[in-house]
Amino acid sequence: MIELRNVHKAYGDEPATLDDLSLQIDKGEFVWLTGPSGAGKTTLLKMLFCAEQPTRGEIHVGGHNVTRLAPSGVPLLRRSIGVVFQDFKLLPHRTVLENVGFALEVLGASDREIEERAMRRLDQVGLRAKALALPRTLSGGEQQRVAIARALVNDPAVLLADEPTGNLDPSLTDSIIELLFDANARGTTVVVATHDHALLQRHARRTVTLAAGKLVSDV
Amino acid sequence: MIFHVAWRLLRRAVMNLWRTPLPSLVAVLTMALALFLGAGFLSALSGARALLRAWGAEANLTLYLAQSATEAQGAALAERVRLEHAELTVALVGREEALTRLRTDMRDLASALDGISVSALPLTVELSPRGQLTSADVRKLAAQLARMPDVVDVEYGREWRDKLEELGRGLRTAGSAATALILGAAILVVANTIRLAVYARRDEIEIMKLVGATDSYVRMPFLLEGILQGLAGALIALCGLVAVHRVLLPRAQAAFAFTSGATLGPIVPAHLVALLAFGGAVGLLGSWLAVARFLRT
Ligand SMILES: Nc1ncnc2c1ncn2[C@@H]1O[C@H](COP(=O)(O)OP(=O)(O)OP(=O)(O)O)[C@@H](O)[C@H]1O
Ligand SMILES: [Mg+2]
Repeated sequence: MIELRNVHKAYGDEPATLDDLSLQIDKGEFVWLTGPSGAGKTTLLKMLFCAEQPTRGEIHVGGHNVTRLAPSGVPLLRRSIGVVFQDFKLLPHRTVLENVGFALEVLGASDREIEERAMRRLDQVGLRAKALALPRTLSGGEQQRVAIARALVNDPAVLLADEPTGNLDPSLTDSIIELLFDANARGTTVVVATHDHALLQRHARRTVTLAAGKLVSDV
Repeated sequence: MIFHVAWRLLRRAVMNLWRTPLPSLVAVLTMALALFLGAGFLSALSGARALLRAWGAEANLTLYLAQSATEAQGAALAERVRLEHAELTVALVGREEALTRLRTDMRDLASALDGISVSALPLTVELSPRGQLTSADVRKLAAQLARMPDVVDVEYGREWRDKLEELGRGLRTAGSAATALILGAAILVVANTIRLAVYARRDEIEIMKLVGATDSYVRMPFLLEGILQGLAGALIALCGLVAVHRVLLPRAQAAFAFTSGATLGPIVPAHLVALLAFGGAVGLLGSWLAVARFLRT
C-alpha cells in the first residue's frame, strides 16, 4: 500500500532530514512511526500525501507514484488518504459538523449525504452533541476527535495521524487510539507518528523508529 | 450533482460577501459607478447621433446661379434638378422674390434697398431633402450640383456640419477613453477585493486542498464572488440610469428646448440584460486576475 524506495529529503541546503529511507507498509497494516523530535516523522508523512516532494528516491501510495504525480493527480491521491494533522487544521468559522463534512463537500456529495455521514462519524467519536458548536469552544481532546472524524469521514484507504495524542491525558489517549484501531479493523491502513513510548508499550504493533533521518529499527 | 454543488458554492459566495461587507461594498459601488458612466455615455452618444441626424435632415442646399442666367434658364435648371433628384424638393427663387425677402428681413432698414436694381440679385434654387440624408450624402450631392451649368456656388452649411462631426468624434474618443479607464479601475478594485478575500481565507484554501479539493473547486467561490459583485454593481447602475431617464431627463427637456431632439430612447429589457451580463463579465475578469495570480504562487 505504501512503499518508499531510497528516499532522500533535504530542505534547501540544510543537512538531510531523511537519508536513504526504504520502507514498505502493506494494505491493512497498523504502524507506529516513532523517534525523537526532529527525526523526520512529520516530513515522511507529508511526502505521503504530496505536501512535500523527496529530493531523491521514489514513493508509491495506493498505486500512485507520488513522486511523478501530475498536479491534477494530487487531489485524487488526497481523497484516498485521511490525515490527522499535528495542529488539527480545523476551520474556525465552521461548525464541527461542517468541518467534518468538508472532506465530503469537495467530492461533490449532496448536503443530505454529507450531513448523514458526518453525523455518523461524530457519533463514533462521541461528539454528536457538539455538532453545531464552533471548534474554539471545544477542549483540545474534543478538537482532536473532530480532526479524526474528518480524516475518516470518506472511508479513506490510508489514514495518517501525526501526534494524535499529543498533550492528552492517558485515558483520553487510549480512547483516541481506539478510534484509530477501529478504522484499521475496517480495513484502513494506518500510520501513526508519536513519541509517546508508554503508548507503544500499551499497544504493541509494528514500530518503525527514525533517528536523524535514518531508519534505526523496524519491529 | 452539478446543481447542488453550484448551489452550495453560490450560497457560500453570498455568505462570504456578507461577512466582509465593507470591501465588497466598495467594489460594488466602484463597479456601479463605472457601469453607470459607461452606459450613460453610450446612451448620450446615441442621443447625440440622433440629434445630428435630425439636424442633418433639416439641412437645405441653396444653388446660386450666375449673374448672367435668365429666369427661364433658372426654371430649366430647377426642372432638371427635380427630374434627376427625386429625393429633393426644388423651388426656384426668382429675383423679385429675392428682393421681397430681403426687404422683409431688413425691416426698418428696407429703405436702404430702394435704389437697388432687381437684376443685381442672383437667382437661387432652394433644395431640401424629403427623407433623411447623412452628412456624407449631402456633401456628395453638393459636389454633383456644383458641376451643373450656370451654378456658381452651392451652400449647405459645410462649416457647422464639419464642426459638429468633429465634436462628435472628439466626444466619442474622450468618452471611450474615460469609460475604458473607469472600467479598468473597476476591474482592479474587484481584483483587489478578491485578492484580499483569498488572503483572508488562505487557511481555508490550504485545508480544502489538503482534503482533496481541485484547484478549480477552490477557485470557484472567488470567481462567483467577483461575478456577484459585478451583478450588484450593474443593478445599482441600472437603477441610476432609470432614475435619470424617468426623473432628470424630462425636466431637462422641459428646461432646455435644444435638447428636445435628444431623446435617449427607452430602456428596453435587452439593455438590462446586456448591462447585467457586462457587469458579471467585468466582475469575473477581476476575480480571475486575482485568483489566477494567487494559485500560481
Ligand atoms: N519546511 C521546512 N523547512 C526547513 N526545514 C524543515 C521543514 N520542516 C521540517 N524541517 C526540518 O526537518 C527536520 C525534521 O522535521 P520533522 O518535522 O519531520 O520532525 P518530527 O520527527 O516530526 O519532529 P516532532 O516529533 O518534533 O514533530 C527538523 O530538523 C526540521 O527543522
Ligand atoms: Mg512532527
